[in-house]
Amino acid sequence: MFIDGLVNSDSTPVLEAAAQFAARRQGVLVHNIANFSTPQFQQKTLSVEAFQDRLSEAVEDRRKRFGGNRGDLQIRDSQEVRSVRDASGQIRLEVTPGTPSGNILFHDRNNRDLERSMADLAETVASFRVATDLFRTRMQLLQSAISERV
Amino acid sequence: MYGNLDVSVSGLIAQRTRLNTIAANIANRDAILDADGNYSPYRRRFTVFEAGNPNASSRAGREQGVHVASIELDQSELMKRWEPDSPYAQPPGTPDAGYVYYPNIDPATEMVDGLDAQRAYEANIAAAEATKAIVAQALRLLS
Repeated sequence: MFIDGLVNSDSTPVLEAAAQFAARRQGVLVHNIANFSTPQFQQKTLSVEAFQDRLSEAVEDRRKRFGGNRGDLQIRDSQEVRSVRDASGQIRLEVTPGTPSGNILFHDRNNRDLERSMADLAETVASFRVATDLFRTRMQLLQSAISERV
Repeated sequence: MYGNLDVSVSGLIAQRTRLNTIAANIANRDAILDADGNYSPYRRRFTVFEAGNPNASSRAGREQGVHVASIELDQSELMKRWEPDSPYAQPPGTPDAGYVYYPNIDPATEMVDGLDAQRAYEANIAAAEATKAIVAQALRLLS
C-alpha cells in the first residue's frame, strides 16, 4: 500500500522501535528510583546493548529479505524485550526487566545505585529525544514531498 | 508514559510520609505524656516501604512504584534520665527508682534519616522531570 510503504520504509520503524524502547526503559528506571528506600528491593535493568544488537540484526535481516530498506522490521524476541502485535495491528515492545547482581548490598538488602540510575535516566531521555527528532525530520521530509506532489 | 509519572509520584508520597515520621520523632523527642496526659513516653516511629502501589488504578500501575506498608513503633529500650524530683520518676523500690523514662529518639539518627529521605525525594523529582521531558518531546511530534 502506498501509505504503508511511506511510513514503513527506511529508518521509520527503526526509530519507532528505538523510541519505544527508551520509553520502556524509562519506566524501569523510574520504578528503581521510587524504590530507593525499599528493603529487599533488587534494582532492575534493561540492557541497551542487547536491544541495539537485536535492532541492528533486524535491519540487516530486512535488507537481506527485501534487498533494500523497505518492508517490515522484525525484531527477534529476547528474554528482556518482546515485540507484540496489538489489536490495531501495531507492534508494541513489551519488556521483562532483568535483575542484575551488580553493586553492593546495603543493610536493608537493597542494591541501589543513585549515580548510575541518574546517568541512565539522562541517557534514556537523550536517546528518546534523538529518536523522536529524527522521526520528526523524516515526517517533515515526507510532508514536503507530498505537498510538492499535490 | 503517564504511568511513569505515577510511579515517581508514589515515590514522592512515600518519602514525604517518611519525612513526616522523622519530623514527628524529632518534635516528640522529650514527650513523656501521651495525648491524654498520661505518663507514656513517646516511642520512635519508622516507616517500612514495600514495592508496588496497591492504590493504582491499572494492573501495570499496581506492580510499579512504592508505598508505605506500615509505620512501626521502635521497641528498643527507652532512655533514662535521673530526675528523682519529677512526679513521673520511678517509685522507690523499683529497678530504676528515681529515673524518668524518655523517648528512645536519637536526634543524629533522625537527621541522617531525614537527609536520606530528602535526597530520595529529590531523586524522584528528577525522575519525574525526565518523564516530563519525554512526554513533551513525544507531544512535539504532533506539531
